[in-house]
Amino acid sequence: MLVQQINHKLIKQALTIRTVEEKFLSLFSEGKLNGTVHTCVGQEFSALAFAGQLKKKDFVFSNHRCHGHYIAFTGDTKGLLAELLGKASGTSGGIGSSQHLCNSNFFSNGIQGGIVPVSAGYALGNKLRKNGAIGVVYIGDGTLGEGALYETMNIISKWEIPLLIVCENNFYAQSTPNSVNLAGDIRARAEAFGIKTFKGHTSSPENLIEDAATAIDYVRSETKPCFFLVETFRLNSHSKGDDDRSPEEIQEYREKDYLTTFSKEQTDYYNNYSAAISREVNEMVEHILQEREQRIEEYYVPTAVSNSDNWLPAKPVNKRQVELLNHFFKETITADERMIFLGEDILSPYGGAFKVAKDLSFIAPEKVFSTPISESAIVGISNGLALNGFKPFAEIMFGDFITLAFDQIVNHASKFHHMFNKKANCPVVVRTPMGGRRGYGPTHSQTLDKFLIGIDNVKTVAINTFFDPAIVYRQILKEEHPVIVIENKTDYGKKILHYLAPNFVYEINEDVYPVVQVRPAVSVPDITIVAYGGMADLVNSLLGNIFLETDLKPELIIPSLISALPADIVAKSAARTGRLVVIEEGSAYGGIGAELIAQVTELVEEK
Amino acid sequence: MAIVQEIKVPLIAVNDTSLTVVEMAFEHGSLVKKGDVLMVFETSKTTYDVIAEAAGYIAYSCELDADYEVNEVVAIVYNDAAEVPVKAVPKKETAVAAKKEDYKEAIAYWEGETLFSPAAIELMQANKLDAAVFKGTDFVSKLDVELKLGIAKPALNKKTAANKTVELLPVDPDKVTIAKLSSNKKREIEYLSNIQQTGLTSTINTVVETEGIFVHINPSLQYLKNSLLPVIVYETARLLSTFKELNAYFTGDAVAYYKEVNIGFAIDIDKGLKVLRVKDAAIKSIQEVEAAIMDLSNKYLDDNLLVEDLTGISFTITDLSAENVHFFRPLINMMNSAILGVSSIDEKLNRCILSVSFDHRVTEGKLAAQFLHELKNRLQSYRSVHHTHPNQDISCFKCFKTLMEDLSDVGFTKCITPKGAEAYICQSCLKGF
Repeated sequence: MLVQQINHKLIKQALTIRTVEEKFLSLFSEGKLNGTVHTCVGQEFSALAFAGQLKKKDFVFSNHRCHGHYIAFTGDTKGLLAELLGKASGTSGGIGSSQHLCNSNFFSNGIQGGIVPVSAGYALGNKLRKNGAIGVVYIGDGTLGEGALYETMNIISKWEIPLLIVCENNFYAQSTPNSVNLAGDIRARAEAFGIKTFKGHTSSPENLIEDAATAIDYVRSETKPCFFLVETFRLNSHSKGDDDRSPEEIQEYREKDYLTTFSKEQTDYYNNYSAAISREVNEMVEHILQEREQRIEEYYVPTAVSNSDNWLPAKPVNKRQVELLNHFFKETITADERMIFLGEDILSPYGGAFKVAKDLSFIAPEKVFSTPISESAIVGISNGLALNGFKPFAEIMFGDFITLAFDQIVNHASKFHHMFNKKANCPVVVRTPMGGRRGYGPTHSQTLDKFLIGIDNVKTVAINTFFDPAIVYRQILKEEHPVIVIENKTDYGKKILHYLAPNFVYEINEDVYPVVQVRPAVSVPDITIVAYGGMADLVNSLLGNIFLETDLKPELIIPSLISALPADIVAKSAARTGRLVVIEEGSAYGGIGAELIAQVTELVEEK
Repeated sequence: MAIVQEIKVPLIAVNDTSLTVVEMAFEHGSLVKKGDVLMVFETSKTTYDVIAEAAGYIAYSCELDADYEVNEVVAIVYNDAAEVPVKAVPKKETAVAAKKEDYKEAIAYWEGETLFSPAAIELMQANKLDAAVFKGTDFVSKLDVELKLGIAKPALNKKTAANKTVELLPVDPDKVTIAKLSSNKKREIEYLSNIQQTGLTSTINTVVETEGIFVHINPSLQYLKNSLLPVIVYETARLLSTFKELNAYFTGDAVAYYKEVNIGFAIDIDKGLKVLRVKDAAIKSIQEVEAAIMDLSNKYLDDNLLVEDLTGISFTITDLSAENVHFFRPLINMMNSAILGVSSIDEKLNRCILSVSFDHRVTEGKLAAQFLHELKNRLQSYRSVHHTHPNQDISCFKCFKTLMEDLSDVGFTKCITPKGAEAYICQSCLKGF
């Protein structure tokens, strides 16, 4: 006997998910589907209970096993099929494929753990807008091993963010059973953070759906987070051919599966529904297979870097860099409603370790979020806010700590726009001070800039003491994609152009991320020196000595956009001087200078 | 000499290796008494008052608004007035910033001091060369001296700019075949570039629920049944008399508003992309709009289009609904400020996406959004509420199964729900599985 009776509409939806998943497996065997798929056969009612019961304004973040969640939330079976078949009409234009879907407030990413802070940020955005929308993030039991989850649970509880974490426990992380890699109690983890928890099982869909509705209602009405543990069984392998579970075990799951029971007890209905859905799915697939893929030139147009060669005099500003930064943020946080400021210890009167955030929380308390020591969550939440239309500025107290947020930068912020076929933008800004000569020791003095260039779709800008940093930040406000800003600890206290080397002229070009050049007032220079950020200030103070010691008249070029170096300007200068030195702080091997020199070598004609 | 107090720049904050003197409270050489504020420093965060430790005469060795390094001595309090030295603070160098308008003229003459490298000095001394010959120069290296002495010759072949300006992409005849652009394509590129290349356009979209929409539209149409185009042209034309900014264009320094509404619709059936004009669309009936569309399409296919069929278009509609398009971003035509894109009807979701691209120099998102919203409402007003097979509207209130799907062959039973509403229930739900 059927343990519970649920409505046929739901059964048809569950069957649709299962049919689509099974179609994927058969397409894969036929060699028509590129890459692999992670099917949720057996777990369908978890998708319907949560994603299926949300409102249109709500959102869903999902993981690698996202097809069911996608269909339950969007109803877009065709977009999903086309996506996995790599067609232009796919939900992510055939670019994202199985794990990277984006459509009407639905997002998925194949990275475990990292989606949790992103969804928290998205939900925080809804809370700030007071639009009554909530979000669901699906994780698996495997995700329980990731630290980002716990950083986020702490924050969503403390900040009362309306996010429902649904943990689908299918008792295996890929091929590894819980018994091998999971300690303690799952619900207790959330409860330890003061988060309300629920538990349900997909074999009792009616209860699950009812409890899910209660949880959704709780998150919405109380504006608080919630954790829902769903026990479920995955009837197929994790992906393809990686199932070492015993056939008896799987058979046991299959027998508990609601759709199996329904098929036995309501065979006619089951067959009828199955046939109709299969026919529909097969027709869609037939049709999609005729469609075309997205052409590379539609998707990607390479742009050549070209810098302004129009130079204007650079002017000193009788203000310290940190004052100018602070002034910019104080002005913008009230003027730009999208702006949010997050970071550790940034509440005033303390105002952050380097005082950039001084008084910000007095001026706009609702837009300044002082966080726990949770770099991954700081950047993840910022990513989510950015996806939701905000302009978050995340402060990482020391550049060294940005390594803790690397997953968020590389696998999330950088990826969203392109893997979602340009349907989403993530205009997040991550600011951090780098550099030594402050005596803070090895883990608070590094210059890690070279790890932060060459990240797809991420601009990396290093400010300096040669112009007002607000010039750069005003441009950053307009950027639609992620920007990392490298500040420098020793530069904060310096004034703009505080030292003018005698007999040199200071000029700035008209690029949005300006390049500064310091050249002999009338002589033709003999050597080109490139330095940026904190090093530029040091080299500037040595220009006179460089001439006296080397008998060479130096020209100093100071880029600010270090993720797209002004190789054309440098090449032009180096071609004239015949000498090029790049000075940067950090470990020597594989540096930014090496990249610049390689680019310049390509541009300069053979001697 | 008795120094009562030596005032050095203090280290106050980790960020600040130098501080600014923002106040010098006394005249140089004045008598100060214990507890007086002698001067004020400013850091990036705060100000710092220097208090006199005892009475004496103050001698400043600093300037207002100048920066001094930590530990630099900036003032001394002496015991005796006679000890106070005459103030002689060197003037700070002023910036070498020429006026912007003069800037283009390259500085060929240096009025400042000339800096000689040690190697240059050595060579000059050996050759008894007078430094005065280098007047007007900023730096003099050994090479400059050698040039002056005629020992070295100027290098003529210094490398020049390494600018590689690439206008045309490379073509390898082994790998590609070349097709010249047709004049049609060139015109299309020109017309579309005009607005799009400014980068000041954007696109907004809306979803129109289309379930049952043709129940009322089709009877009004003779040829274009199941097409939204005639009714979209009809409704858009009427709306444009209110949304004048969308029936306009940017002239370069002003906005030109069209006095008439002449809607263009894009067509591309084997004869190249053309935009055909439905003249005075705002005063035509739906039937007249449909007739105009048919007439223009036939002329297009028969190559009988007249100049006036292609010109004077004040607003364009591009309908890709026949191409199975889910969603696209239309590009604005020259001398238009907006364009409406019509995507295909999603038969499953019963909806269709409309997109408006607009020129930000003429209008803005809010207005375009209002236009789109209004258009959507007007289109949806054609929907029939009870349009489908009557059976489909009958479903079991408990399991949502419809009468058509029911296998019982008995039909549904009319019932009263626990909430007191009238409804239907299927046999399985009534009797239990």
